Amino acid sequence: MHPWQLPVLLIMACSAPANLAAEDHPDPLKIPNADAKQESEMKPYAEIIEHSFAKIEMLPIPAGKFLMGSPHRENGRNVDEGPQHLTEIPAFWMAKYEITWDAYEVWMADLDILRRQVSNIKPNTRDKLADKFQLTQPTKPYTDMTFGMGKRGYPAICMTQHSARIFCKWLTAKTGRYYRLPTEAEWEYACRAGTTTSYHFGDDVKQLKNYAWYYDNSFDSYHKVGKKKPNPWGLFDMHGNVAEWVLDQHVADYYQQFSKKPAKSPLAVPKKLYPRVVRGGGWSDDPPLLRSAAREGSDELWKGQDPQLPQSIWYHTDALHVGFRIVRPLLTPTPQERAVKWDKSEPEQKDEP
Amino acid sequence: MTNANKSRREFLKNTGRVAAASALVAGVVPKVHAAESNTINVALIGCGGRGTGAVANALSVPNGPIKLVAMADVFDSRLKSSYENLNRKFAEQMDVPAERKFVSFDGYKSAMDCLKPGDVVILTTPCAFRGLHFSYAIEKGLNVFMEKPLTADAPTSRLMFKLGEESVKKNLKVGVGLMCRHCKARQELFDRIQSGEIGDITLLRAYRMAGPTGSAAVGPKPDNISELLYQIRNFHGFLWASGGAVSDFLIHNIDESCWMKNDWPVQAKANGGRHYRGDHVDQNFDSYSIEYTFGDGTKLLVNGRTIPGCHQEFASYAHGTKGSAVISSRAHTPAKPRIYSGHNFSKQDLTWAFPGPEPNPYQVEWNDLIAAIRNDEAYNEVERGTKASLVTSMGRMAAHTGQLITYDEMLNHEHEFAPNLDKLTLAAAAPLPSGDSGKYPIPLPGINANREY
Repeated sequence: MHPWQLPVLLIMACSAPANLAAEDHPDPLKIPNADAKQESEMKPYAEIIEHSFAKIEMLPIPAGKFLMGSPHRENGRNVDEGPQHLTEIPAFWMAKYEITWDAYEVWMADLDILRRQVSNIKPNTRDKLADKFQLTQPTKPYTDMTFGMGKRGYPAICMTQHSARIFCKWLTAKTGRYYRLPTEAEWEYACRAGTTTSYHFGDDVKQLKNYAWYYDNSFDSYHKVGKKKPNPWGLFDMHGNVAEWVLDQHVADYYQQFSKKPAKSPLAVPKKLYPRVVRGGGWSDDPPLLRSAAREGSDELWKGQDPQLPQSIWYHTDALHVGFRIVRPLLTPTPQERAVKWDKSEPEQKDEP
Repeated sequence: MTNANKSRREFLKNTGRVAAASALVAGVVPKVHAAESNTINVALIGCGGRGTGAVANALSVPNGPIKLVAMADVFDSRLKSSYENLNRKFAEQMDVPAERKFVSFDGYKSAMDCLKPGDVVILTTPCAFRGLHFSYAIEKGLNVFMEKPLTADAPTSRLMFKLGEESVKKNLKVGVGLMCRHCKARQELFDRIQSGEIGDITLLRAYRMAGPTGSAAVGPKPDNISELLYQIRNFHGFLWASGGAVSDFLIHNIDESCWMKNDWPVQAKANGGRHYRGDHVDQNFDSYSIEYTFGDGTKLLVNGRTIPGCHQEFASYAHGTKGSAVISSRAHTPAKPRIYSGHNFSKQDLTWAFPGPEPNPYQVEWNDLIAAIRNDEAYNEVERGTKASLVTSMGRMAAHTGQLITYDEMLNHEHEFAPNLDKLTLAAAAPLPSGDSGKYPIPLPGINANREY
């Protein structure tokens, strides 16, 4: 049930059948520097969300191999970080910053639809595809999901992994470019940026305050993205501020299988709701959870203060330290590859009627 | 479980439900095969998300056998989903066979008929039905848990005051879902404020500016549902059903502010408006700004906004002659109350903060109610809950009429939004008929100066 559902459906119903293919696969939104056929052509670019002021800066991440996980001697290490294993990652772009409310709320609160409505702008073919990922949202939250910590320029938080996944599907439809959450391996590869230490700046915890918001310097709140020093590849807030969703199920012994052979684009496709992985630690965490190799699993308790039953599939009312950033692979997967790997997640998340 | 790392700071320091939740996991919930006479039976009237959540809280009270035995709703689908969700978590405490599930407007009677005096009925329908259902509960000698708000208009408030007195006379235990009053952290703050830690209160401020909330904005009615059921399904959008966005959303922050002042306001002035309407058919404004005045002249400012994309704040504050206090910081729980020597809430001025963790007040209010029942202690929150509801309606009416409204004017007003609800059937007309365009009458401040629509 959505106030804007009817006009959109009417317009879609009027489309001529001959246009169906074009309607399903509209051309991507044209923006500077976003096109690349091979790695050498990849450039930083700013993704734009039409009918809003939001943009998402993307940085090219080169293909490469790295040693995933942490060595036994690393301070604060957990057993799920081993064994260290060689992992191959193809090229992709990654968001320079954690996704902010500026972008997230366009989807979550339908701000682009509202703007089109009040300005009498007709939806284009991408809008029509994208609207489906907004109009399927349930009743609005009952609470202030910023928890008073700030809106513009601050990272979006408290979303379930499902919400973050649907945001990516919406953004994909909205732009015509394929976006998704990073895999755990991609995230760690990008965070390390060629380093092998506990943090991307070294092992000295005393330096952490220059690169990260965490328990000791966050004053009980998240902070605007990009205010600390970036990692060697120019990515901000990989350590701290908000922990970041990745696609993977948290499987404690997942790395074991790669002790003999290198992992290629590994992904633990989720088969159950909990635990799923967030990476990088957040403003309410201590240094060990911010390490490049540290893995945190989601938990049912993240919905603790949701007094409704069933609890929402969209919000983790208690995960104030959890957000996400997005990636775009250089090689767009086929619909088949998306269905069996990249977009796959079980059990299916559905709102009750 | 797994050995996945946990964000321990957040869950140990910042939130408080860990204790309550792990009590469940650890199997502290009592088994139902204890002595039959000791078992408290529960019936649920209104099987939406909050009602179902309230049952989950009830069945988690760790002080003796308690089980759910009857359910009623006007939506079969809601009842079914409520039952399934509860059964997943509390199978051993569920005893609701098909013949004790009731889908009709008078199902509340049948459900309460399944209980014996001293059992508990949960009233979590939209508040329009509260008086009707509470009357029957009193007649049957039942203890009651009912959700806020208790009333949306003056005539039902007068009724509720009267019913409250009757329930006190019959020694019924009645809890009202203003759970912030049961919050241990706020209780300590209250004691500190009353003992003068921030001096005399000079100003209170409360905010629930959280963007689109619940069913406050209601789109056009589809053809496959009756007007009556559509209004009940989207109760936040219709004043007769819920009192609208003001009554349903702002009441907690208003109530906790009045609590800290230890008083109720005597009058209200308010602004509000409908900026983005689109094809919405509900009766709400999308922003409200209310100024309440207490008997000593002190003000409570309340701001509510459901417009998306704006600054968000969901908190209450008190300012005094010696400093200030955060009553609640982020939504309802954890409240993280604190006291500062100044008014900027700056770290160096912090003089007290509740150490945490804060037990979940949604659970505490149930622990308190069931303890009072088992120990036969006086326990009745109806008068306080009705005052909170009436004061909230006073602010809403001030915005909707554009007039200054006093407490006495509010209390004695004659506009009853939905009379004769006892005669409602599934086939009945809606209490609020739509106009020609499918839209409903909206408040017209200044034009309709005497009533809200």
